[in-house]
Amino acid sequence: MVKTGSHPSAIPKAILDLDRIVHEPARLAVLTVLASAEEVAFLFLQRVTGLSKGNLSSHTQKLEAAGYLETVKAFQGRIPVTSFRITEEGRTALRLYHQQLRALLPKEGKP
Amino acid sequence: MTTPDLKTLETLTRDYATFQARKSGLATALGGLLAVVLVVAALSPNFMGIHVLNRLLVEFLVWVPLLWLVAKSIIGPLVYRGLGPVRALTDVAYERRRWRWILGLALFLLAVLLAALYAFASGRLVAHPPQAALQPTPMWILVMPFLYLLAMPWAIRGIEEARAYVVLVGQCMLWLIPFFIFSFGPPAPPLKQGWGLFGDVLGVGILVLIYVVLIWGALAMVRGWKEHREYLAILRRIPVEEG
Repeated sequence: MVKTGSHPSAIPKAILDLDRIVHEPARLAVLTVLASAEEVAFLFLQRVTGLSKGNLSSHTQKLEAAGYLETVKAFQGRIPVTSFRITEEGRTALRLYHQQLRALLPKEGKP
Repeated sequence: MTTPDLKTLETLTRDYATFQARKSGLATALGGLLAVVLVVAALSPNFMGIHVLNRLLVEFLVWVPLLWLVAKSIIGPLVYRGLGPVRALTDVAYERRRWRWILGLALFLLAVLLAALYAFASGRLVAHPPQAALQPTPMWILVMPFLYLLAMPWAIRGIEEARAYVVLVGQCMLWLIPFFIFSFGPPAPPLKQGWGLFGDVLGVGILVLIYVVLIWGALAMVRGWKEHREYLAILRRIPVEEG
């Protein structure tokens, strides 16, 4: 029998409360990278997350629709460069997600 | 998808962005090398019987800081093109230190110029004997300190680079001083005898400066090369694209 200190229905609710946009592994990786820099080029983001171009585009579009990132289009000489920047909402969402996840996990030393 | 864990992603991005902001590995090493070359050239006016330190070389050496800036701007995009621009989070303390170096160099140039003008105008300082190869000064040489300053805030991206620039400019100012004597005022009076303690202190100061520059140059070469290797290591940590 599993013993929990809190109300039995509290845990499923906390899991359900997790931000689904952030919870998806690829988007979590994208937000983590963006939160570690001011602005990140598409190519770097693609390589570092290991996503395909199409996949990354789809995830960044979802994050942009949620207001968690913004796209920056610029030119380096004649070459167009697409970069991304995390928004304040995105940073807050990521921080909140970490807090929620930490609260859900058992404390160290306790099974 | 082969995604590293989140902590690794965070560190990797920070390291890459930090390097991208500075890109000073090979540039620092080159700055160190040029600093050593400047000192050696100054100490070896006659190399194996050849008169190395002629006017052309001196004029060339005076251009070294600007040549270094040009070389640096070429090295950066060529060697450190990497995976596109990644801008680091603003490090206020680092930026403040960088600007301190830039301001320090500006004040240094101002102080050296004023001291040189005063010393030559009062006839207390003679840069080289009249028979030396350095002859009437082209006017552009007087503009050099301002060129050094103008290029600086936009071209210097890291503290290591600022240090390299300070050392190169500092040395070139020593080259510029002889030109001032011919640019302002009457022909050089003969070297005054009996400078006493002032002369001794000046001599020791110059000797210490030479050793400091040599040691700094050697260290900058090592440090710059090490930073370059670290950047290559960062690139190796980034997962290779599949398919």
